[in-house]
Amino acid sequence: MEFDWSQQDREHRQEVREFLAAELPDNWEEMSRHGPGGDSQAAFSRHFCGRLAEKGWLTQHWPGEYGGRDCEPWRHSILGEEMWAVGEPRGSQYMNVNWIGPSIMHFGTEAQKALHLPKISAGDVLWCQGFSEPEAGSDLAALRTRAEKVASGSDEHYVINGSKIWTSYCNHADYIFLLVRTDPDSSRTRGISVLLIPMDTPGIEVREIPSVVGERYFHEVFFTDVRVPCDVLLGEEHTGWNVVTHALQFERVGAARYARAALTLDHIARVAAERGMLDDPIVVDRLGEARALCEAARVLVYKVIDLRAKGSPPTADTQLARVLSTNCDNAIGRLALEIFGPESRQYASYADNNFRLAMTAGVAVGATEVQLNLIASRFLELPRE
Amino acid sequence: MDFELNEDQQAIVEAVDRLLAQQAGPARATALGNSDTVEGSYDFALHSALDEAGFSCIARDLAREDGTPAALEAALIVEAVSRAGGVVAAATQLLVAPALLAEPPAGPIALCTRRELEQGTPVRYLAQASTLWVVDEAAVTQHNLEDVAVAPVRTSFGYPMGRIEATGNLHSVGELHNAAADARRWWRVALAVEATGTMQAALNCVVGYLKQRRQFGRAIGSFQAVQHRLSECAIQVEASRWLAREAAYHNAPEEAAAVAAAFALAAADQLFTETHQLSGAIGFTHDFDLHVWSMRLLALRQELDGVGGARRAVVDARWRDATP
Repeated sequence: MEFDWSQQDREHRQEVREFLAAELPDNWEEMSRHGPGGDSQAAFSRHFCGRLAEKGWLTQHWPGEYGGRDCEPWRHSILGEEMWAVGEPRGSQYMNVNWIGPSIMHFGTEAQKALHLPKISAGDVLWCQGFSEPEAGSDLAALRTRAEKVASGSDEHYVINGSKIWTSYCNHADYIFLLVRTDPDSSRTRGISVLLIPMDTPGIEVREIPSVVGERYFHEVFFTDVRVPCDVLLGEEHTGWNVVTHALQFERVGAARYARAALTLDHIARVAAERGMLDDPIVVDRLGEARALCEAARVLVYKVIDLRAKGSPPTADTQLARVLSTNCDNAIGRLALEIFGPESRQYASYADNNFRLAMTAGVAVGATEVQLNLIASRFLELPRE
Repeated sequence: MDFELNEDQQAIVEAVDRLLAQQAGPARATALGNSDTVEGSYDFALHSALDEAGFSCIARDLAREDGTPAALEAALIVEAVSRAGGVVAAATQLLVAPALLAEPPAGPIALCTRRELEQGTPVRYLAQASTLWVVDEAAVTQHNLEDVAVAPVRTSFGYPMGRIEATGNLHSVGELHNAAADARRWWRVALAVEATGTMQAALNCVVGYLKQRRQFGRAIGSFQAVQHRLSECAIQVEASRWLAREAAYHNAPEEAAAVAAAFALAAADQLFTETHQLSGAIGFTHDFDLHVWSMRLLALRQELDGVGGARRAVVDARWRDATP
């Protein structure tokens, strides 16, 4: 057990910081105020991820044969921390490199790898994930979107009907990582498959769901007789649940939210100091509490990265880290409102932006309550009755 | 970066756990707590056993090549002693003392702030200690307690406590110059480590009980309302553990030490509240082991200005210098 960064890791972090200082435009704060899914940030991500790819950093943790550099997961986590700390200039492409690409490496055909992995490692493709449905939220295995295999001459196609909801990033996405039911007689986790589908396929319609979170944050995606060739199937048919479980085993801590929260907190504290608020013991107490929370979230995420670096099977440590990261994000979001006070009433003000981006953390990538269920059963081994 | 114990650390933890299985545990802690004598309220046998096994000097003996104490290994031992409900001043001896003195005094060391001494508040292990370290703003003053009258103080909070009856008889036998900041940093790490081991044991005790105890025809631990609260407790314990170990490994940097204490001492309140609420009336009885750990959590929360003091220290370390 030791908690030191290697010299190379420290140097890499410094290089990334210098790169960010050089690459982020002067209006980056304005550009990033709607979060990774915002229009301007999505557009910028194509340029920015291309630059990261040129540096060899975008997919540095991937195997060399797929455009990576075989770096340890720690190296990728440093990149993730530094990216989230400045508001994630990779946009939604953090998902590509964290889990979509690795899923294709693990389950994909050679043709799928050849089609998708070069695009991802070049930083020039946006993906979204089609999981939740109106009747399948936390209970994802209740999903009903149907992909029916039909013969068309000598070829077979899937015909997809149904809808997905709460989908982020899909308004800019080139592809969707889609979870569908391919066996109509199945239930729960059996009979589900993953399809990799271009978003410009006829029959796909995206509608924004207006929300208090911000513009173009949530969407519905409707599939009406969408015909796709069978070679979009990822992994074996009807085994999509295993694909998704594998894909997301570490993704619950894939977004370094604690890094963004810590940077926000530093800014809040500087403002509090400038305004003489550090004389208020209540403010000092809240700031100290929040900093401890950021650090606690960080160290639990590090524990998960360590497991990944060792190739260990996933454990409930992921859920522990996820819940604490969520708590951290929410706490700093609320604290920003308190420190900035009435100024935060202005839409898109600093505190408002941070609060809105933080407020969905507890329901994204599996609700906190689901994470707590998993901790109870897998970590504490409490009985299910 | 490596969160797994290496072979040496694994061997240390296994060895101390073996010793503690024989010489500590909740039954022994309860028996010591019921002792009628001052001497009998402190586990001198365990204190000696830890000395003889070489655990007490481990920070010095396993120091790195540059002389930095092996504080992580010391922290692993203190965590284990706390988990086992040991009634010994191991945290001060293993974590605070090596940072202040190359050759710390033998026997139990009590630790208090200048204000606590002046106000005559009960101090942990004071009645049994042979040395008292008083931490004030600038220095740590060392006192030999052999000829000082210290009265044992009855307390609800798990550790033997004492109070000096006449501070006029207390004479400094030395001042550790410029050691106050070091003492506070290491005291906070020690509190975080002790709280972690103590919280872990309290949680284990209650989780074990709630797996067995049945009401409404099912194990209480199967109710989701109960499970979520226990899961939240588990998160608090794990985060406390890794923050404390990381702070010890890095030799108690000011911010990391304060962060570890701020988090663990806040978690201690949650663990106390939840473990007692979820174990029901049995949790308050001497027959149920929970009290061995739970009541101590509240005592730990009051040392070195507690959670509030630790959070102030976090702000001072991270942001105060940046104040224009």
